[in-house]
Amino acid sequence: MARLDITNLAKSFGPMSVLSDVNLHIDSGEFVVFVGPSGCGKSTLLRIISGLETMTSGQLRIDGAIMNDVDPAQRGTAMVFQSYALYPHMTAAENMGFSLKMARQTKPTIREKVAKAASILRLDALLERRPSQLSGGQKQRVAIGRAIVRQPKVFLFDEPLSNLDAELRVRMRAELIDLHRRLGATMIYVTHDQVEAMTLADKMVVMNGGIVQQFGRPLDLYDDPDNRFVAGFIGSPKMNFLKARVGDVRPERVTLSDIAGTSTALELPFRGFDPAVSSVEIGIRPEHVRLAPTDEAGPNDISADVAFVEELGDVTYIHADMPGGERLIVRSDGMRYSGGKTCRARLDPGRFLLFDPSGHRIRSAHAH
Amino acid sequence: MTLALDAATPRRRRMASVTYWDVLKWVIALSVTVVILFPIWWMINVVFAEPGTPVSINPRLLPTSLEAGWSKILMILRETEYLRAYYISVAYALLTIIGVLAVGSMAAFEFALFDFPGKRPLFGLVMLSLMVPTAVTIVPTYLLVADMGWLNTMQGLVVPGMASAFGLFLLVQFMKGIPHEMIEAARLDGAGHFQIYWHVVMPLAKNALVTLAILTFMRTWGNFMWPLIVAPNAQMYTVGQVVGLFNAPYSHHTVDVVMTANLLAAVPPLIFFLIFQRKIVEGIAMSGTKG
Ligand SMILES: Nc1ncnc2c1ncn2[C@@H]1O[C@H](COP(=O)(O)OP(=O)(O)O)[C@@H](O)[C@H]1O
Ligand SMILES: [Mg+2]
Repeated sequence: MARLDITNLAKSFGPMSVLSDVNLHIDSGEFVVFVGPSGCGKSTLLRIISGLETMTSGQLRIDGAIMNDVDPAQRGTAMVFQSYALYPHMTAAENMGFSLKMARQTKPTIREKVAKAASILRLDALLERRPSQLSGGQKQRVAIGRAIVRQPKVFLFDEPLSNLDAELRVRMRAELIDLHRRLGATMIYVTHDQVEAMTLADKMVVMNGGIVQQFGRPLDLYDDPDNRFVAGFIGSPKMNFLKARVGDVRPERVTLSDIAGTSTALELPFRGFDPAVSSVEIGIRPEHVRLAPTDEAGPNDISADVAFVEELGDVTYIHADMPGGERLIVRSDGMRYSGGKTCRARLDPGRFLLFDPSGHRIRSAHAH
Repeated sequence: MTLALDAATPRRRRMASVTYWDVLKWVIALSVTVVILFPIWWMINVVFAEPGTPVSINPRLLPTSLEAGWSKILMILRETEYLRAYYISVAYALLTIIGVLAVGSMAAFEFALFDFPGKRPLFGLVMLSLMVPTAVTIVPTYLLVADMGWLNTMQGLVVPGMASAFGLFLLVQFMKGIPHEMIEAARLDGAGHFQIYWHVVMPLAKNALVTLAILTFMRTWGNFMWPLIVAPNAQMYTVGQVVGLFNAPYSHHTVDVVMTANLLAAVPPLIFFLIFQRKIVEGIAMSGTKG
């Protein structure tokens, strides 16, 4: 259990800047997930925390103590690698006990601690096996056991489940959540899979291009993203983005016209819209767009050409092309697709998120 | 009915393909075996026969007198310096193996898994030495050893052979295959530099080390020139040199005694081959060269 503070951290490999201006404060016992597209610097940040990589500038503290120059083994962190990185010539028990052996603990102590970790992970029957005699999920558990045995303050996981098949991955996620609850330790978990991030995280750090885009609880990020990247990265299927022109701006309302290349104009409640902004992008999630019934045209309906339809049984996703070139995904829970070439979508202006042309969120001055 | 037919057809076809090609292969393999084994068998025949029965005039396929053979072997072991030569040769081979493995594995550990300034040019330099024939280096090496006063000593025999560019190459290639995350995991587990080498990398490189040990044994046991040059003193004769004495043109020994000496020299590598047969084949395949 430990608090972890990162201030003004930057990292570059030679001339290439990989992380910049990272500031994070992680509370004791939190399960924090770093998520972002491949190459955005998640692993590098995790490796800096572990001490395997040095930072170019900035500061890392664990429980208040500065860790910048502390040896990786002395930081109180333990890491689980994507490839498991088990020692192939050692049994599961020897793998788990290796750090204790290096710390010159006595054999009975090692045996006891390994047995304890093994029982937490239900590995008791597998302790004498070599990694080559273990399945993927079992190897993963041994790798986690190797971390547990050290009783670290902070657990670090780098995409630990990505080598497992889909079913096992779901099961291991549940086990990790359970493990976190039982150990109460601070855990930092890296993944590129936003669904995995949403499932596991107490708090999520969304990264892109070496910059922390947003840090917060998963649902807060889902409902109230700070920028277009976070809005588009979280959620499946993705949020829709429709270009619009800013029309009439009044103190409590704003009118958006030419939405997605149509002639539709919509008015939405918005306090203190900056009149200098002349065009915006509307973000709206597929579940906030509905198919309008064919017989009653509403004022907010926009029509679109159906590109293809995903019928999953419980829900149907209609992917439609807008005249402005955008793709609009409509989620229909009740209604099934009737087979038409065009559809009419009904947008809920109350759910609009507005982004300025540089992708920053434009927030209403009052909480909606 | 159809079932039986179906079963029979592929088998007949397989039999047909066996007949030509496989028989040919077997014939070739057996011929090569006979050609290679015959001299050794001949040697055994000559040794295990009454002295003074010339084999060339009276060829035979089986040893005629075990007793005579034994007495010749015992005579050589008792009345010549053969046992000491064995001891020198074995010590020379073992110490060289230990040295090559220790030096090579430590150097390969650094070259394969870590970065340090000048790594590439240094490695290139070492690899360059692979292309220089022994004949070119043997004189400077001799002068160096002589300068250090190591002529006719075990260290003079062993030390120059401990730095093996080939061994370094072999081990570097192998250790490059060790995933970097494994080394990092060990670092996080609190293993120091030497502990990573000893507890993680060495066990993982076991196959390559065994291969290198075998190739080194073959090289040192069969090395005639270096001991001849650096340890000319009779006290330091290796088996190779002792056999050389028996074989010399003015040697007063009869053919069968010379053969006995040769046989005794061939026995250790023979035993070695029989034990490590599979490893040797694997090793030669792995190193891509002949020792
Ligand atoms: N040791 C290194 N040397 C040079 N560049 C590196 C090194 N490690 C990572 N990078 C680069 O840093 C960027 C971030 O990498 P990484 O942290 O592994 O991304 P992620 O884990 O988010 O996929 C990538 O562009 C990668 O190529
Ligand atoms: Mg990564």
